Amino acid sequence: MSLLELQALLPQIILALGATAILMLGAWYPSRKWILAGVGIALVAALCAGFVSPAVAEVAGLYSTGRYACFFVIVWSLLGAFSLLLSLRYAEIHDLPGSEYSSLVLFAACGMGLLSAATSLIGLFLGLEAFTLVFYVLIAFKREDPRGAEAGLKYLVMGAVATGFLAFGISLIYAASGSFHLPEAFVGLQQTAGGMRTIGLVGWALILVAIGFKVSLAPFHLWTPDVYQGAPAPVTALLATGSKGAVFAALVPLFTALGPLKADLEVILWVLAALSMLVGTLAALPQRNLKRMLAYSSVVHMGYLLTGLLVGGRVGNRALLFYLLAYSIATLGAFGVLSSFSRVDDEPQEYTDFRGLGYLHPRRSSVLAACLLSLAGIPPLVGFFAKFGIFSAALKGGYPGLALIGILTALASLYYYLSPIVVLFMQQRDARQLRRGGRHEYIVLACCFAAILLLGIYPAPLLDLLGSLLP
Amino acid sequence: MATWIFYILGAVAVIATAMAVTRRNPVHAVIYLVNSFFALALIFYLLGAPLVAAWEVIIYAGAIMVLFLFIIMMLELSPGEDADRKGPGPLQWLPVLLIGGSLLACTLLMLQLDPGGGQELPHWYASPRDFGYALFHEYALAVEVVSFQLLFAAVGAFYVGRADERKEKMGDAT
Repeated sequence: MSLLELQALLPQIILALGATAILMLGAWYPSRKWILAGVGIALVAALCAGFVSPAVAEVAGLYSTGRYACFFVIVWSLLGAFSLLLSLRYAEIHDLPGSEYSSLVLFAACGMGLLSAATSLIGLFLGLEAFTLVFYVLIAFKREDPRGAEAGLKYLVMGAVATGFLAFGISLIYAASGSFHLPEAFVGLQQTAGGMRTIGLVGWALILVAIGFKVSLAPFHLWTPDVYQGAPAPVTALLATGSKGAVFAALVPLFTALGPLKADLEVILWVLAALSMLVGTLAALPQRNLKRMLAYSSVVHMGYLLTGLLVGGRVGNRALLFYLLAYSIATLGAFGVLSSFSRVDDEPQEYTDFRGLGYLHPRRSSVLAACLLSLAGIPPLVGFFAKFGIFSAALKGGYPGLALIGILTALASLYYYLSPIVVLFMQQRDARQLRRGGRHEYIVLACCFAAILLLGIYPAPLLDLLGSLLP
Repeated sequence: MATWIFYILGAVAVIATAMAVTRRNPVHAVIYLVNSFFALALIFYLLGAPLVAAWEVIIYAGAIMVLFLFIIMMLELSPGEDADRKGPGPLQWLPVLLIGGSLLACTLLMLQLDPGGGQELPHWYASPRDFGYALFHEYALAVEVVSFQLLFAAVGAFYVGRADERKEKMGDAT
């Protein structure tokens, strides 16, 4: 490791060292202001990734410093900053310690940045574990809340099993090819007669189990609703967007490296995508709890993303990345509104709590409605273009079955996305007046709202940017 | 000969692990698991990887099993209903004695025959020096990332496990 390599990894190093610095200083001066310091550090890391050009293309054979990696480091740093902004008031009313919380979120952002930049299976494993480990703690961060403890334990047990699967899978692929580095690790899996060697197939099966758990694809999605419901709302915002998005951001180069061997995994990926869309939709339809509904609907969105991954190529990957960003912005906004609605004793999440809330708090309710409509894919909003991109890529790429399932589930999603809006705006008001939201929350909500609208009206610059990032 | 020793060790490892999974008494399970680790260590040695064999004993059988025993002690699990004061019967101690005995026999046999000694294996399979060099040069960044993870795991364990001061005060008051 040389100094040049360290300089190339500067954004991640800023996040990790900033996290430890906040942790240590917080021991002497405990204060919730450290959350604001964390926001500053995340923004500095994002600026650094954007403007400091790395001197080497790859660090230690583990992490890339290319434009693709830098872009996602910026995205996850900004996401970390936004979720910390959402947490300021939340930490105050729920009496959470600022420095521990802030440092954990920063390290989660660092792990996501490492994962999206991975060019080696070891780098992938380490990045994934870095933020999963942090989430075990963050989910159970409200210690007096038994639901949070239950959610944390569920995520821990299932996550530990998934980690075991991932390690087994990577070691089998290493045993077959003798390399961790991409694409050499997958070249060794090639049979002379064409197709993948059996040991490689077993390894990939184990890796897909782990990935299925981390991004909650059906049938590995059972933890999702309980964990979403039990975790503090700002943490759920980070979990629903970053932890899933970083995995997909890492999967794009992984599948590009896999090359023609992807054909061997096609059937299983097709089944996973179709199952996620169908199971998620059926489970989301009867939900009367906003967090659980968003959890099941996220399973559907993961199915759409997997469709984009399956199509692959420039068109499919660009549609996937655009969908990923559109989904993340809208989900962050929805959980942002939920955390700004939270009271001292509880977070309102049952639909009965929201009855008529649209009249009492019209601005925040409108943002929530816009986020839900964007997730449903209503035309002027960004979600529409994202869905359109995925479905048209699937049709052109030769997956009409998945496109059909996708369109049908998108139609069905209107029911479960519109019903909370109906509850908010079209029912008699018997909701209690909530507190005013914090200024910092409004900044995040305004950013999400603006992004949903602007990218929906004028998506071309982002699409061009994403297209130029892909190899 | 090495093939036969491998099959014996493999059978011992599978049987010991199966016994560890099915035992009701946690301490018995730990004893079987230790035997399974020993069998795996001998298999590694047979493959010409003495360093990995040593780790298997030091880290798994040594450190992690002691940790398990500590946790079992701290949890203060009550003994099961079938446990009586007379101590374990032959059904309890005979299998572990057989497993342990066959492991000991394999070890002595390997000392006598040295089946792996004749093979010329690449240097880096065995040498701690080369391994250490690779770990702290080629994978130095990975080691750093892991150490950060361990730091935050410790922070998390401390935060979640810390007793709540306010609740304790309230408990004292009532």
